[in-house]
Amino acid sequence: MTKSRVEREERLFDFKKIGAIIEKNFIVMTRDKIRLLPLLLFPIVMIMVLGFVSGNVPKHIPVALVVYDNSQLSQQFEQKISDSQAFSIKHIVSTEGEAKKLLDFGEVNVIIEIPPNFQDDINKGVQAGITVIVDESDSSVAATSQQTLNGIISSFSSGITVQRLSSYQKSVGGAADSIASYAYDESQLNGYQTISGQLYTANGYISTSKQLSDSYSKALQNSIPHPVPLILPENSTTLYGSSYVNQTSSNVMFVQSPIAGSALAQASAFKRSSSLASSAQGSIDSAIGIAGDNAEVQSVLQQQYDSRVAQPIITIREFTQSGVEDVLTPVVYESKPAYGSGLKAIDFLIPSLIALTLFQGAVMNMGRSVAGEKREGSLTRVFLTPTSTTTIITGTLLFYVIFELVRATFLIAFSIVVFNIKIQGSIPLIALILVIYIIVSTSIGMIISSMVKTEQQFQAMAMLISLPTMFLSGAFFPLEAMPKFMQSIAVFLPITYAGNALRDVMVKALPIGMIWYPLLILLAFLVLCITVVGIMFKRDIE
Amino acid sequence: MENIIEIKNLTKKFGNFTAVDNMNLVIREGEIFGFLGPNGAGKTTTISMLTTLIKPTAGSAMIAGHDLMHDGADVRGIIGVVPQTFSLFNELTAYENLSYIGKLYGMEEAHIKERADYLLKQMSLYGHKDRISGIFSGGMKQRLSLAASIMSSPKILFMDEPTTGLDPQSRIAIRELTQELNGQGMTIIYTTHDMEEAEKICDRIVIMDKGKIIADGTSDQLKHKLMTGYLLEVKMENPSKEILNDLRHLQFVSKVSVSGNKISIVVSKKDGVFYSISDFFHKKKIMIEEIEYKEPSLEDVFVELTKKDLRD
Repeated sequence: MTKSRVEREERLFDFKKIGAIIEKNFIVMTRDKIRLLPLLLFPIVMIMVLGFVSGNVPKHIPVALVVYDNSQLSQQFEQKISDSQAFSIKHIVSTEGEAKKLLDFGEVNVIIEIPPNFQDDINKGVQAGITVIVDESDSSVAATSQQTLNGIISSFSSGITVQRLSSYQKSVGGAADSIASYAYDESQLNGYQTISGQLYTANGYISTSKQLSDSYSKALQNSIPHPVPLILPENSTTLYGSSYVNQTSSNVMFVQSPIAGSALAQASAFKRSSSLASSAQGSIDSAIGIAGDNAEVQSVLQQQYDSRVAQPIITIREFTQSGVEDVLTPVVYESKPAYGSGLKAIDFLIPSLIALTLFQGAVMNMGRSVAGEKREGSLTRVFLTPTSTTTIITGTLLFYVIFELVRATFLIAFSIVVFNIKIQGSIPLIALILVIYIIVSTSIGMIISSMVKTEQQFQAMAMLISLPTMFLSGAFFPLEAMPKFMQSIAVFLPITYAGNALRDVMVKALPIGMIWYPLLILLAFLVLCITVVGIMFKRDIE
Repeated sequence: MENIIEIKNLTKKFGNFTAVDNMNLVIREGEIFGFLGPNGAGKTTTISMLTTLIKPTAGSAMIAGHDLMHDGADVRGIIGVVPQTFSLFNELTAYENLSYIGKLYGMEEAHIKERADYLLKQMSLYGHKDRISGIFSGGMKQRLSLAASIMSSPKILFMDEPTTGLDPQSRIAIRELTQELNGQGMTIIYTTHDMEEAEKICDRIVIMDKGKIIADGTSDQLKHKLMTGYLLEVKMENPSKEILNDLRHLQFVSKVSVSGNKISIVVSKKDGVFYSISDFFHKKKIMIEEIEYKEPSLEDVFVELTKKDLRD
């Protein structure tokens, strides 16, 4: 009767009673095994369906080719793409915009762009980039496309290098030989020992350059991507005209090995032969200078130099003045994300999928059980006991928060084991995001359940929030692919922030200071939802 | 006996609809108090207000000295409610259900065990204490529900149509248990459709209709207050309208009604009427199966008062 008795009997937070509510929910949940099993398996089934790159490597992936350079070399490249059975060129267009439209409509999954001045750049020793845009939404197609194209492009690139090196060797070899014979002839003829000496020196420089290019060529051939046979070794088709690459068939997947360290070292050594060429040039110049007082000798020397030596020296210069990388790989694979961010499909997927699964689970499990207790009247029975609504809310919420955390752990562990996902960021930070997000989600379930009288009504109401959440979660379609107004709906969904924060921490390993924005919004959601629960969840059972 | 519940001007409106209209009522300690009335009369709304489940629109009530409006928690501490439906957890065993409810009343573990075992025995459920209650029969569920409602040994027990939908044996069991609990000193507020049941167990009865109390008293008081005369019942095949009309014109007959093959005739005096009525049928050469004086039932009172059948 006295106030103190009231408080003793119905405390705001009665932890014994909260414990009893959690225990009760635990018994109810675990006793119904048929309900429990799918609850635990659901996320795994979902992740399998959405995220698992199945053993079947997709073939004939539709491709749009954007050709900015109509040259022989780009035709060769195009041929190589169409020779591979992994791709089939559906459209050849002249701008990226056109190709993007095809990608948006799902006509093609991959865009390959041959850049302007493709052939000219390569001939000049300037590296040319083949831009590849892959639709990340189908992860298995995306993964195959990226891997295979990477292989095709680096094999194409190495092929060009090998070819160029061999022609280089030929011309430089010729230059060295002619300087040697020239020096020999001229010295014999005129007795200019110093001229002869200078020319021998030049010959030495050029020979060294040739040797360097020989060893570079060898090293490079050894570092050409290894072809690894796939499941169906059908007829082999020649991909590129080098004896090594000949074995490469269209049914192989390329595993790009890192350029062997020796090749890189050789390339740097080879690059230094540009100074060798300068030194050779210098020697020849001084030879011509020494012959200054003899106009006849000088003109013969000059003539010989112009016709037989000058060009190879320019070749050496051109070849060696370009960057190591340019020489090494004249054509490179340049990945461009279809939708704004450079992450792999599975990286995109897992955080969104975790966020989505938890949200659905939290809203549905919590809401349906409360709505069910409401319909069955057992909630009324609890209301009839001297237990405060805050205690009832806390006990019920806590149980589902714990339950969903277990599911989240389960899900993440599964992703690590099966998908090789590496958690890059801080685990406590991930846990913090999950806890806040799960409380928000369960609260939403509770809010909806306090507006309804039956599970059926709950189901219908929950659809209103769970459907947009599902489609705007980024787990099925990238959000960026949605129309603008759909994207603006996402602003009001907690999953948008939870998904971003989880991705930032799990994949990009960002610290708390970098994710304060989504975290703050999630906290705001938390305060809002708890407040609304407090207002909506009443004893009054009208 | 002391007043244990005092209701003053209690009103509940749902929008424009007045479910309970300015109710004034006193319930004494130790009574089995019956709320009778057709569906929608306001019985459950009244119970919900008295058990703190819904807030009154106006008025007040004192429950065992606690103000309903301000000391809801105190009220919950001393009452028990047997809801219309099972309202326990199908997934839990009989014992777990009682234990859970006990914990929500803040009872100690040892006390819970003692009390639950005692009640399970009292309700003849002890042999089923560790079985999942979802598989119980309707009667078992209702006994378990009753046990849960009195886990905390409440002073007042509200029973909202506790026998609806039960088989006859279970009804009898619930009635007997109710009387047993009452015998132990519990005040019981009992709502029902079943007039016979109310007549059998309720010490005092109010009849509600359209949110108002239209009669209040013991079942005898109600019967005699409302029935100004005696009831004669005639059984016959297909009573025609002419017969009914002719009967109405007889001396001493104040009311004639028919239900199936039974004609109920209310007469203002007893002497000689039995003879004149049977003579009436005799003269008209109408075969009647039976004619007898009937003690008016609560149902007759009810129909008279509300002009509608209880089981509508």
